Amino acid sequence: MAELAVDKHVKYILAVEKNKDSFESVVMDHLRMNGAYWGLTALDLLGKLDSVNVDEVISWILKCQHESGGFSGNIGHDPHILYTLSAVQVLALFNKLDVLDIDKVATYITGLQNEDGSFSGDMWGEVDTRFSYIAICCLSILCCLGKINVEKAVSYILSCKNLDGGFGCTPGVFCCVGALALTGSLHYVDKDLLGWWLCERQVKSGGLNGRPEKLPDVCYSWWVLSSLIMIDRVHWIDKEKLVKFILDCQDVENGGISDRPDDAVDVYHTYFGVAGLSLLNYPGLKAIDPAYALPVDVVNRIFFSG
Amino acid sequence: MDLLNQLETILESDPLIDEVGLIHPSQFITLSKECSESSNSSSDGAFRPANTKFWNRDHKLGISTEILLPVCKAAKSAFMDAMKQYKTHGDLSVNKREDKNMVYGHSSSCQSFESEVMKHSRALLLLSCDLGTAWNARKLVVSKKQQLPMFTDELHLSALVLSYSHKSEQAWSHRRWVIKMICEKYSNLQQIIAKESELVEKIAERSKMNYRAWNHRCWLVSYMTREQMLYELKKSRDWAGLHVADNSCFHYRRRLMLGISENKQGDDPSYDVENYQVVKEELDLNEALIKRYIGREALWLHRRFLSLCLIRHLMTTTHGISCHSTSMDNEINIFLDKELRLLDSCSTIQDTEFEDFEGQAMYSTMYFLWLIKQIPEFRKIELQEKLKAGNLKNILHKTCPERSFLWDVLEL
Repeated sequence: MAELAVDKHVKYILAVEKNKDSFESVVMDHLRMNGAYWGLTALDLLGKLDSVNVDEVISWILKCQHESGGFSGNIGHDPHILYTLSAVQVLALFNKLDVLDIDKVATYITGLQNEDGSFSGDMWGEVDTRFSYIAICCLSILCCLGKINVEKAVSYILSCKNLDGGFGCTPGVFCCVGALALTGSLHYVDKDLLGWWLCERQVKSGGLNGRPEKLPDVCYSWWVLSSLIMIDRVHWIDKEKLVKFILDCQDVENGGISDRPDDAVDVYHTYFGVAGLSLLNYPGLKAIDPAYALPVDVVNRIFFSG
Repeated sequence: MDLLNQLETILESDPLIDEVGLIHPSQFITLSKECSESSNSSSDGAFRPANTKFWNRDHKLGISTEILLPVCKAAKSAFMDAMKQYKTHGDLSVNKREDKNMVYGHSSSCQSFESEVMKHSRALLLLSCDLGTAWNARKLVVSKKQQLPMFTDELHLSALVLSYSHKSEQAWSHRRWVIKMICEKYSNLQQIIAKESELVEKIAERSKMNYRAWNHRCWLVSYMTREQMLYELKKSRDWAGLHVADNSCFHYRRRLMLGISENKQGDDPSYDVENYQVVKEELDLNEALIKRYIGREALWLHRRFLSLCLIRHLMTTTHGISCHSTSMDNEINIFLDKELRLLDSCSTIQDTEFEDFEGQAMYSTMYFLWLIKQIPEFRKIELQEKLKAGNLKNILHKTCPERSFLWDVLEL
């Protein structure tokens, strides 16, 4: 079986951070904050977070914060809940949450909760269960979850019928399960039923797909796998086969991981591949928390050192 | 900047552009040759210098891959500048509300900033369609004006973007915002929804299993009347039959059926009868497709939902109270017997050369197990006898051994 080419992946991630001049990077630079989260979390899981200049990153992050308290994907862009979570997660990685005015961020997020308990992504009102997860995860990291109406948030999520799997997409399922996990509400889930649909995502090659009849993709190693772990049904898939699939998605020459074997690599799939392997207890990687999507030691630091 | 000017001039002069594409520089030479040849045969005989950066004919726009990066950067820079000006000026005019010399919101400089923002964002979004900030800028301008033609323009622009970027979440999201705005102000809701639904189907035809497109169509259901939902279900039936691997399509049908069953409008028992008919028809369609297209996971998954609907329906009276009656039990038994026979016919693997037969056996077995999981307790005793006769456990071991653990989950 192939091995994880740790050094190559580290080199790849660091190189991506620096490349700002291709067409790809220009059309993606509005989500640089997400990219930062993927790249830096992957580096941390690989044990190489210290390869990065902390101060530079933090100073750039703070430039992305708006008056409203929300963060944008890059300097000069509009704020959105998606980038706000990534910003908070990156600061948590570096143990620099103290640079934040937590009330300000919390105000931005609480302002996005609607009457029915759902969350909008930004001032323009698009509602999605992903945003519920993001709000809950973000405020949880900042230790002020009580600032939103948790009960309504939970009841909205439960009303979305994502939970028997047949009604939505797997990132949506992960977000629902994650949000319920973070609010102590997993007892509302029929774990057998959900686990059933999730374990059916494993195809013959060992990879996981996101929906019936679709090809396997490394990113589902996260969405599906972390969901299964949270509902305690991970033994319902063949873990060894999945490890092999992820390792086959590496570009062992140039570093990076792609969605499936022999495709082009990107930071997104590199992160999900490494995170997936971490969930599968691949040796040499830091453990990752399936609900917070942050290394376990980072989560412990938030909750156990005041 | 000159490239950007060229692009924006083309967009301004041809508002009916319905297709955008990238062209390799070498293809330009071919296209230019064809163009000059045909224009020589036309009456004016004017010489058209070959443009190797942009192509615009018959409402199609082609952009050379060579200039993509520079024009994208120029558009972004121009847009960001225009936005800064627009927002700063907006703040100023708010602060100067007391100034009688100010014509708020209609001053010529304010309007020109507005049009700059719209002009540059349009060019930018055609090149970089996921830039939320650019879509938001347009929302800002359009929401201040609140004019229907502007809303229609937004639908036009996003449709153009979606014609080649089928999955652009930002474009779909922008459409939802525009529709919400239109619905609040204007009441030709049904027509808008119908047209939107058609748009999705058109895009779904070109971009198979496009989750975002179908998700958008599901969103429309909350704006539909019961009649519209029934009509949509009927109208998209044939399409579903031609795209049996597309789970998103069946997910949409499930969403419609849920909408239909929830949309009761009073206690009229005829609605219940109609709902029952809808489920039965869909079950029949599903069975026909399962027999015709062997080993299609999406079909079997759809059947899970349908069977559950039917059983739940059989177990409730028109007043929604659960009750057991012998005729109801009979109905359910008849149904389960039928499903068992379907399972039997599907679980014999006739031909190991084609994976589809194996798939059919696996999916049918999993379907039946799932059904057992869903059935309330009192049925299991009756079913157990039938299952022993049917040898379900062996079929499970044979068709999908990796899922054998599910037998224990079922506690049979």
